[in-house]
Amino acid sequence: MLFDNGFDVDLYMKNISNLKNNDYLYNNDNSNKIVSDKIGLQKGNMFKDEYLSYKGISPDIIEAKTEKDALMLKIYETCFAITDLGLYLDLHPNDSYMYEVYQNYVSNFEKCKDMFEKNYGPINNTFVDSSNYEWIKNPWPWDKDGGTKYV
Amino acid sequence: MFKYEKKLEYPVNITKKNLEMAKYILTGLGGSAGELAAATRYYIQSFSMPDERGKALLIDIATEELAHVEIISTMFRQLVKDATPEELKSYNLGDYYTEHGKGVYPVNASGMPFTATYIQSTGNPVVDLAEDMAAEEKARASYESLIDLTDNPEILNPLLFLRQREVVHYNRFKELYEDYKNKYKL
Ligand SMILES: [Fe+2]
Repeated sequence: MLFDNGFDVDLYMKNISNLKNNDYLYNNDNSNKIVSDKIGLQKGNMFKDEYLSYKGISPDIIEAKTEKDALMLKIYETCFAITDLGLYLDLHPNDSYMYEVYQNYVSNFEKCKDMFEKNYGPINNTFVDSSNYEWIKNPWPWDKDGGTKYV
Repeated sequence: MFKYEKKLEYPVNITKKNLEMAKYILTGLGGSAGELAAATRYYIQSFSMPDERGKALLIDIATEELAHVEIISTMFRQLVKDATPEELKSYNLGDYYTEHGKGVYPVNASGMPFTATYIQSTGNPVVDLAEDMAAEEKARASYESLIDLTDNPEILNPLLFLRQREVVHYNRFKELYEDYKNKYKL
């Protein structure tokens, strides 16, 4: 087992984050514009004033049930933040605050992906840290247990 | 080039078959405002974008739309996986089963196959972006209809996610459209 029981992926993220200015990133006027990656994935966007609910239906919070899923969920969340902030940065490449937040998510995504791959197998086919070619192994994302069995 | 990442953009885990929704959800893949049309439309348009921002935005949204093709295909597959041919027949999926079995094939909710007439590329970035804004709004409307047709959270949650992504894409396209309209007077 990779983690002790009671593993807290958010605490883990906080500890591995090597950015000194985390407090600045998430506690200032600019930071009021965006939500966390967790809420971002749940609702489908990172920018608060861009969220447009439909008939007041609120999507469920996504909860992980196992350690493996907690790590995969963190990959989903950071990856989503990168996707959404990336579209914004395509049009606003000089927004240095958003770029810093983006860099922070990229760094966390890489770390989580690395840890997941080392323990559970490849997410990209360039992961080769194993004696055999694990890329082909089930489950694939469209299989029912495709690393997404936490909703 | 594209590189595959062995994960979805948003989790899909549908535990019960639902042939009614399976039939409707296919429009999100193969309909005129579906994800396959979206991915293809933005991908081909990226080649005629006039500046760095346009090229980046179109290729990045196209890439995300491919992830949406994957989400809808996964949903369809999980919705029909455990169904018998008899059951498929009783939900008006007999024609589909004849041609495609329980495989994934891009058709709309009434079974009409995907066609390249769903996508446009005029070579004029302002015109293309106006097309893209309309396409995102149509996709949003179609997800809203699908949301109206179900109350199963396993189906609802991914649909709500996909709908919100259309809202975001529309906003990005609109911003670039207005910018180009002023800048290039096209
Ligand atoms: Fe879209």
